[in-house]
Amino acid sequence: MTGEGLAGPDTTTGDDSPFWAGAREGRLEFQHCASCGFVRWPAAGVCPECLSRDFAWRPVEPVGTVWSWVVYHRAYSAALRERVPYDVALVELDCGVRLLTRLTGFAGGDDPVGTRVVARFEELGEHGRVPVFAPAEEGTDR
Amino acid sequence: MGTGSTDVAGAVRGRSAVVAVGNTAQGTVPGIPADELAVEALRITLAEAGIDKSAVDGLITCKSYGGFGIDTEIGRLAGLNPAYSATLDYGTCNFSLHLACAVIDAGLASTVAIVYGTDQRSSGNRFGHALGRQDEASVYGFLNVAGPAAMAFRRHQHLYGTTEADLGRIAVSQRRYAEDNPLAIFREPLTLEDYLAQPYLVEPLRRSDLCMISDGGACLVVARADRARDLTETPVHVLGIAQQTGLRDRQNADQWMRGWIEQVASRIYPAAGIARDDVDALYIQDPTSVWVLQMLEMYGFVEPGGVGEAFATGQVGHGGRLPLNTNGGQLSEAYMWGFLHLCEAVRQLRGEAGGRQLEGLRTAQYCSTFGFMKAASTILGTELS
Ligand SMILES: [Zn+2]
Repeated sequence: MTGEGLAGPDTTTGDDSPFWAGAREGRLEFQHCASCGFVRWPAAGVCPECLSRDFAWRPVEPVGTVWSWVVYHRAYSAALRERVPYDVALVELDCGVRLLTRLTGFAGGDDPVGTRVVARFEELGEHGRVPVFAPAEEGTDR
Repeated sequence: MGTGSTDVAGAVRGRSAVVAVGNTAQGTVPGIPADELAVEALRITLAEAGIDKSAVDGLITCKSYGGFGIDTEIGRLAGLNPAYSATLDYGTCNFSLHLACAVIDAGLASTVAIVYGTDQRSSGNRFGHALGRQDEASVYGFLNVAGPAAMAFRRHQHLYGTTEADLGRIAVSQRRYAEDNPLAIFREPLTLEDYLAQPYLVEPLRRSDLCMISDGGACLVVARADRARDLTETPVHVLGIAQQTGLRDRQNADQWMRGWIEQVASRIYPAAGIARDDVDALYIQDPTSVWVLQMLEMYGFVEPGGVGEAFATGQVGHGGRLPLNTNGGQLSEAYMWGFLHLCEAVRQLRGEAGGRQLEGLRTAQYCSTFGFMKAASTILGTELS
């Protein structure tokens, strides 16, 4: 699944379906720039660092740190009415990607910000298995 | 990212001035399409200022919810053949005003009307979409600007120990101003206790931390300095303008903290030829109170983490040394995508703010952002010396 250059056959380079397909199989993967190695997300046809169009989808270490998290008490779309209240977090992965996700395995009074986390894969409604993040065993690093 | 160069010092100072501001009713204005609200704002503004439509030779519109607000359509409705017209894809009025200044400086037009109109309240916009490029946002339910703003505030709490009561003082101060503003949609008193008793919408944010969608229109007329003197006895001079983008979006570290706003802060005071301490009244565009918190800090009006104390000790806000969002802001007055902040700044500088008129104003600063993409600031003044 590589970008083939301007004249290549693959014109769906902004397509993020490999990310979701990987998650269903328990893998966290992103586009890696074939030229400079930059790991990018959201999916895009061009590397924002070196502007190369060549890339490959490859797994990353599924570990990172919670940047922040919130709890939605209001449903901003009809589809979310059954889900509230639910949390959303931003995790900074060690590979450099910042990923929206949800948390799991935290105790009620915990402040997850700054906590080292590791990916798990859980069912989320019609989306199937998606990445969620739980505290890593070594605990927090800041 | 660019540096805070000072080679723009004085580049626009005194070259153009706001000569008229105006607005339609705000809130729920059913039955009038967005573009007609924009034209209605233009009509009111010109009529109140006694400016003939034929004086307008520039038109800058801003795209509104539903794809309305295109210059070609507004010009047709308004019966205008301006020498220059353009549409910006985003509001806050700062970007429109800056374009007007550039257009005037380039000689493309001498008298530019900046208009905005929206019927998004009546037409059912609920901002139930993700802001910016957030591919996984819909899967995890990360919708509305409340999401990123709540994320940014929680992060701020983690870094500085900021409390929800600290944040609440922003909404409370703005509501106090709105009590004296007949245009404001929310005028009933709001205490800090009231604020803290509100349920969360997106925890840790509450109803009063987020602006309510409204219908309405607003307009400013900007003219070349020599034309301005013909059109009004009380021109409000554009002293300085500055901008910075954060177009890398999610590739920016701490994207929701929007640290690149500091670049605007470093440029705006040299550009205007004044010091930050010379700002007599401050306006910060506020789709959420968190944006006010961020800009108070990044422009240097408040120490990081010190927002609660700054309000409590009368440093900023209602009754304080630095008035802030004296119209009530978007949180309490109306959501006109920032246009009413500049209208209010101009009215205050001209002594036309009625029951909420401040004394002795010479300068006002307006700071705004387009989500996670752009930031801008303008300094206006009544004097050029
Ligand atoms: Zn690259």
